[in-house]
Amino acid sequence: MFPKLDPILHSELRLAVMSILAGADEADFTYLKKQTGATSGNLSVQIDKLTTAGYITVEKGFKGKMPRTTCKITPAGQEAFRNYVEALKEYLSAGA
Amino acid sequence: MEQNKEMTAQESLNLISETMNNSRKEIVRNSGKYFVLWGVLLTVFSLLVYFLWKTTGKVAWNNLWFALPLIGYPLSRWAKNKEKDSRAENFISRINGGIWGTFGVFACSVALFSVLYSQFFDSPLTTIVLGVTLSPQIVLLFGMAETISGITLKNWTIKIAGWITGIGGLAIFYIAQVGAEQMLIFTFAGIVLTATGLIVKHQYK
Repeated sequence: MFPKLDPILHSELRLAVMSILAGADEADFTYLKKQTGATSGNLSVQIDKLTTAGYITVEKGFKGKMPRTTCKITPAGQEAFRNYVEALKEYLSAGA
Repeated sequence: MEQNKEMTAQESLNLISETMNNSRKEIVRNSGKYFVLWGVLLTVFSLLVYFLWKTTGKVAWNNLWFALPLIGYPLSRWAKNKEKDSRAENFISRINGGIWGTFGVFACSVALFSVLYSQFFDSPLTTIVLGVTLSPQIVLLFGMAETISGITLKNWTIKIAGWITGIGGLAIFYIAQVGAEQMLIFTFAGIVLTATGLIVKHQYK
């Protein structure tokens, strides 16, 4: 019996955002946008979903006069990401 | 990138691996410019102090060093604020920032202590003990910071360059008993720091 893949993470854009945040202490919204190539609207929606799931935190502030949105992965998000990768490995090893 | 695209397990793993790798490279490559900035400043200041000390014979020109952080710190803040389009930090960039920040604090503190001590407790002994040993102390701190950067960046060239600058600088200072020429040890350190920035930019391309 294969473990069920987390539906929150099993989406291309959300997974990319989580992958970036899993390897970084924090990242700007604009950095995530640049790295993923997503539109602002789409990225905002996916970030909201990850925030609602408790996988990331979003902090709004200012850098000089410019608004700045910073995203960070939470311990729950790290755990979910780790479990997701483990599940993927199980799928692949079973298929090999 | 789409949020509803159906991915296979292999595609998901590839996406994770590729995204993490690209992001890591981007963050570390970006930190290269700070090495270049401080490296160029160190080179320019060391040559300037060397020239003034050599031509006038006045050791007091060394006080110019205190202008280095006063110019360098606002410049690096400005460079950081210029990154308006994107910013992220990871373990390597944070550790490297910490290493060089600590080096700066220690180098400035040692220099300030040395200057103040010699002002208030002026004696030939002070000059011998503090005046003579300040440069090797700072060059040794520099070598350590550079070597640790090489360890975090997993780059042997940077590790060896740090060791050569720290230990080599120390050896040259004591063996050659240099005067104003000791500033050239810092010129070498500045070149090493600039080269480190360029290596980082190249390694994480």
